[in-house]
Amino acid sequence: MHRLASHEPLPSQGSSLFSLRNLCFTYPNGTPALRDINLDIFPGDRIAVVGQNGAGKSTLLRHLNGLLTPHSGTLVYKGDSLATGRLERARLEIGLLFQDPDDQLFGNSVADDVLFGPLNQGLDLAAAELRAASALSAVSLAHLRHRPPHRLSYGQRKRAALAGLLAMQPEVLLLDEPTANLDPYQEELLLQRLKEYPGTLICITHNLLFAYELCERAIVLDRGHIHHDYSLRELVSHRASLREHGLDFSFRFVEQALPEDRLPAVGSVVPTATDGPAGGGTNPALIELRDFSYRYPDGTEALHDLSLRIEPGEKVAIVGENGAGKTTLVSCLIGLRTGQGQYRLNGMPINERNRVQACRQVGLVFQDSADQLFCPSCAEEVAFGPRQLGLAPAAVNERVGRALAQVGLIGYDERVPLNLSGGERKRLALAAVLAMQPAVLILDEPTAGLDPDGEERLFDILKGLDATLILVSHDLFFVRQLTRRTLVLHDGRLVKDDSTTAFFSDSMLTSLNQLDFTYRNRCGLEIARLQHAHEHSHRHRHRHEHPHRHGDLVHSHLHEHEHEHAHTYTHTHHAHPTAPVEPDRHDHLPRADRPHDHLHPGHEQEPHEHEH
Amino acid sequence: MSNPVIQLPWSGLLLPILLLPACFWLALVAMRRMATSLESLTDGQLPGAESLTVSSPLHTWDPRGKIVGILSFALCTVSLNQPVLVLLALTTALLLIAVGRLPWSRPARRLLAMNGFLAMFLIVMPLTAVIRPDDTLIVFGSLDSWPVNLRGLLLALLILGKAWTVALLMEPLLATAPLSTTLEGLSHLGAPRRVGELLLLTHRYIHVFFAELTRLRNGMEARAFQPGLRVGSLRDYGNFVGMLLVRSFERTHRVYDAMRARGYRGSMPNRLALTFRPADVVKTALLLGLGLALLLADRLPGGLI
Repeated sequence: MHRLASHEPLPSQGSSLFSLRNLCFTYPNGTPALRDINLDIFPGDRIAVVGQNGAGKSTLLRHLNGLLTPHSGTLVYKGDSLATGRLERARLEIGLLFQDPDDQLFGNSVADDVLFGPLNQGLDLAAAELRAASALSAVSLAHLRHRPPHRLSYGQRKRAALAGLLAMQPEVLLLDEPTANLDPYQEELLLQRLKEYPGTLICITHNLLFAYELCERAIVLDRGHIHHDYSLRELVSHRASLREHGLDFSFRFVEQALPEDRLPAVGSVVPTATDGPAGGGTNPALIELRDFSYRYPDGTEALHDLSLRIEPGEKVAIVGENGAGKTTLVSCLIGLRTGQGQYRLNGMPINERNRVQACRQVGLVFQDSADQLFCPSCAEEVAFGPRQLGLAPAAVNERVGRALAQVGLIGYDERVPLNLSGGERKRLALAAVLAMQPAVLILDEPTAGLDPDGEERLFDILKGLDATLILVSHDLFFVRQLTRRTLVLHDGRLVKDDSTTAFFSDSMLTSLNQLDFTYRNRCGLEIARLQHAHEHSHRHRHRHEHPHRHGDLVHSHLHEHEHEHAHTYTHTHHAHPTAPVEPDRHDHLPRADRPHDHLHPGHEQEPHEHEH
Repeated sequence: MSNPVIQLPWSGLLLPILLLPACFWLALVAMRRMATSLESLTDGQLPGAESLTVSSPLHTWDPRGKIVGILSFALCTVSLNQPVLVLLALTTALLLIAVGRLPWSRPARRLLAMNGFLAMFLIVMPLTAVIRPDDTLIVFGSLDSWPVNLRGLLLALLILGKAWTVALLMEPLLATAPLSTTLEGLSHLGAPRRVGELLLLTHRYIHVFFAELTRLRNGMEARAFQPGLRVGSLRDYGNFVGMLLVRSFERTHRVYDAMRARGYRGSMPNRLALTFRPADVVKTALLLGLGLALLLADRLPGGLI
């Protein structure tokens, strides 16, 4: 096999790093993925590629790395096409971070994996080891270099995968959903590392707050087309565009109180830590743990002497840092694990022999929906649970129809779950659990990996649910909006059991649980300020189609013209993001290069005269 | 029958009657422990590169010499016919574990897991071995139509001793260097590199596969899945296995893409510079010599005993 003696960067010809012209790509099953892509990417660009699931983002990224070749059109890298010989060299300077780190960490130890790239670049072992050591230090994993990847946490694996790319010192870094399934702490760590990266960075993400902090340019893909290519500030400021592409996360800026009739008053049912587990009264609680502990087979104590009560109808959040024991607690509540101490569900003690009773009464929506979907059709998937409950076929069908309708998946009966988008899969998993009509619904990190549209739909569904809800989440908005009581776990112990309001007002607790996610809060505030609309009037260019006259000829076509009238327009107030907000000072300069796209009710129908 | 006979009371039967279920039970416990440790992803069955942090004559031994020395010794052991020599080989294997400062728990679990199978030999062979004129027979009570052949028992113990020795030898062979180093040594000895690379990827992804299997199984259990042999359950098993296959297939493609994206062109880069030092020659010669000596002693006319 031919191996490069050492890796010399490809010479650059021309100003753009990548130049894509009329690029098209269709998958073997006939699905068009990219259509007429025209794009220039320049050295040092930091680009967020956004769009709904299936828009072609990942396909585009794989073209840039040469993993896919265009069916028509051209892709030029540093002035020349990625032909076979050149492609191999180009790949050594274009790093691609996959969404799932397990796909990328194929070495038997972290060090083995990080060395893979530099050795392929032709470096000798000593130089490669130096690079690997430096990259591992950069991602704070130097102390784990000998550890096999399966013994790392998810966040550590993600950083190890990044180290494998950084060790190659790539000129371009392509990131596919880098923050998917990361907790806030790991997300912040990753963000810091990526901010320090000096090269060209192209990032696919649904996490616009992350993109806002990291990138300057936004490319919006829509069904294989580039729909917008402008600054990220412009994208996040323009709510209509965000909504059009399923990216509108503005619902997070609106405080939405749950209807009071869905929430029991905090004082009436919620015991405080000092009340003790029996503080809720003499009636049997829906869930009651008393001195409950769980130890893994390797001796790790995951839960230690937990005591708590959850009453019917309560909406409870469980928060805590990674490794605090949240998922273990959930596994115990649902009966997948049995620990020491007392666990009563509806007054019935749950133990190894009858733990299936817990599975029947407690429904769990997993963090990764793919882990609980395995049937060939959505209808079968939803019917699986009711069938296990021994219901008659007619009752099963009735529940399937109702559950699918409840999560907005009517008509999906015959669709294959594997082919659904992330948001649809999450809703299908929720339907599969709701069809069992559980007494308690547990959601484990429900927003992980969802696009803003999926988040908003899920939020609306959860807001309307009557069931007792246990929400395990790092998502401040969901915790604040959906729950009234928050349990704080730390090192397997319940350190606080209080109202959600009290939890949020305690900065020490949010910090302890890595929820004081400063950059997200800061970005959220900034974007909220950017997104405002009010009416004003100024002369501006306008593009639209309406009947108009050229002399005697009256016709209709898309055209641009200038006119002046009052309209509502979402716009920036300040040129610089760090400038203080002064409502009276508006940056309303008309843009000569871009027409407005606001509504003109009735205007298009009225014949009028103007220059164009 | 002219064979010498040892008459034992009925109560003597208790030992073999209890031995078999005890061995099966211990094997089950050991296998469950191993499966749990694999699923919980806390303790892989093959060692990781942490073995580099321990230093012993076995850890510093060049992998090529180690493979040649230990595998040759294992081959010599399985060729032995004399129980005393097998016992010596077994002692050598135990000594190697001690010299390598390896934990005893893993080899102990491995031996227990094997014993469920090996116990069958201990029960079956004494009862089924062909009775030769000079064989000693053991008779329990008045069961003289079911004599236990002492030669058969010794043969079963011989097999047990050899199996234990080889199983124990795998520990110093595999646990004193990262798997990638051992396989690199193997390819330096002429084994196809592709086989080593496949083994490495298999070892890496067996953990990912088990984790996926566990999560998917939990997903079914969380929805009150009732295992059984009903048509509905069998269909669910089919869907489960199908989904695992689909996911594994898709992952295979993604892993291959990830490898290509970092410059993979058909073979893994060589990350080891192996040097065969005089100390390695001595260690290899020592173990190889010991194995050959045992074999020679075994083949001496009349044997050692």
